[in-house]
Amino acid sequence: MVGKKEVKPVAVLVITCVVWGALLGLIHGATKERIEEAERAELYRTLSEIFPGAQFSEENGRYVCMENGEVVGYAVVVEERGFGGRMEVVVGVSPEGTVVGVRVVSHGETPGLGSKITEEGFLAQFGGKRLEEIALKKDGGEIEAVTGATISSRAAVRAVRKGLENLRG
Amino acid sequence: MENLLGIVIAAIFINNIVLTKFLGLCSFFGISTRVKTAVMMGMAVTFVATCSSLITWLVHRYFLVPFHIEYMRIVAFILVIASFVQLVEITIRKLSPPLYRAFGIYLPLITVNCAILGVTLINVDVERYSFPAAVVNGFATGLGYSLAILMMSGMRERLEISDAPSSFRGLPLAFLTAALLALAFQGFSGMVE
Amino acid sequence: MKVQEFTKGILKRNPVLGLVLGLCPVLAITTRVENALGMSVAFTFVIVLSNLLISLLKRFIPRDVRIPTFIVIIASFVTIVEMLIHGYSPSLYEQLGIFLPLITVNCIVLGRAEAFASKRPVPETLLDTLGMSVGFSLSILVISFLREFFGTGKVLVFGHQVVPGLLSSPATGMILPPGAFLVMGILLALLKKARVI
Repeated sequence: MVGKKEVKPVAVLVITCVVWGALLGLIHGATKERIEEAERAELYRTLSEIFPGAQFSEENGRYVCMENGEVVGYAVVVEERGFGGRMEVVVGVSPEGTVVGVRVVSHGETPGLGSKITEEGFLAQFGGKRLEEIALKKDGGEIEAVTGATISSRAAVRAVRKGLENLRG
Repeated sequence: MENLLGIVIAAIFINNIVLTKFLGLCSFFGISTRVKTAVMMGMAVTFVATCSSLITWLVHRYFLVPFHIEYMRIVAFILVIASFVQLVEITIRKLSPPLYRAFGIYLPLITVNCAILGVTLINVDVERYSFPAAVVNGFATGLGYSLAILMMSGMRERLEISDAPSSFRGLPLAFLTAALLALAFQGFSGMVE
Repeated sequence: MKVQEFTKGILKRNPVLGLVLGLCPVLAITTRVENALGMSVAFTFVIVLSNLLISLLKRFIPRDVRIPTFIVIIASFVTIVEMLIHGYSPSLYEQLGIFLPLITVNCIVLGRAEAFASKRPVPETLLDTLGMSVGFSLSILVISFLREFFGTGKVLVFGHQVVPGLLSSPATGMILPPGAFLVMGILLALLKKARVI
């Protein structure tokens, strides 16, 4: 038989877990909308860096960007494996199929080297390019890699290509 | 499908858990004064990291995700790790007292070793690995930890008998050694694409 | 109730530079002063509230399961702070990455619970954990300031340049992993030399 001595510690631990589980559930319920809201606001802020002054709406995982009732472009969030792990990139494309702008939302690249792929100097190169032109110069394309961060640059290029292909398909 | 060999090389050398990801530092500096204890700790961490990666991945996929309680993952993972370590401790105490005497004292320390919770979170949160990739990553991360702590303990055994300025003796010198090791590991950057 | 319960955590028994504990966030997120500020807030929230609760409940927690109970309480507070930061500052959430959930296994938090909160009354626990938080925050702010300044040549906090760009060619290595170990080693040696800690 299990004595009272063994039951008490286990009971306390189980009660702790149950009480906290319930409490966390409540707090999660209270903050859930706030978190989704904040994430959407963050994404729309990034999108308006690419399409200033446009309105955005979500449609099958891609974002339609409208200005004065006209479609000015589409955007998509893509994931790619970089040098330091997963990176998330937002690609904005015009209705004609050229890149309007690119933003790196999150990445795990080396600070000071690979992280330079998030800077305007590198990202601006994608502006106006078509799918065929998007590759590093050393791979026969038109994008200059960040010095000392070829792998990070190549991952960014792959992400942009993936974004263009997603939007085309 | 991820490249499993790539994950192994990345976890051991390029993104070494201790020297570039800064996880498991307390034990890295705390238990690296002797090579023998470092080897024991390395083996224990590798075993627990592999099994924890396996269990937490399953818990996440088949329990947390279906019930939409992914936000409970920190509590769930740490409980899984703590109970697993406890279970291992009880098992080896019953089965092999000599093994328990060698490993016993390291096991409780592993529960709060951030390398373990860290690797389980990296598997499901940061990299979103598939099941085989997560287990391989757990194992390789343990190997990376063992490599780092083994090198560190080898150097610290020698540093102890060297004639260093008194204010640098002990931990300050250990940190500078770690800086040089980390610098060397930076050289692995770009080995795997 | 003594004031020294508060002050000991800042200098004599500073958790980071004195006891050399809780190193993971100290070295990992100190690439920018901004991140160090965020980590300080999250850390203070978790250590103060979880230890207060542990001190309140100490009579009801059986000895055998005290460590798992402490861990569950700490992990829950970490989950709460994670949800709050995720909701109110997604960019900080992104920057801190897994080091936010890893406060759960920070040895300082569990160490204070085991060594102090589980034995002492609530007011003393409050002073103790507040002191530890100040000590922790000061340490990571100093380290991140040194790393950001020497690594990037300037210090940016919320878009404001706190320190003018003095270095024309910053040493990028300082914000890379080796720089973290280097700064920590030199700081420890200097403090040992000055016999402060």
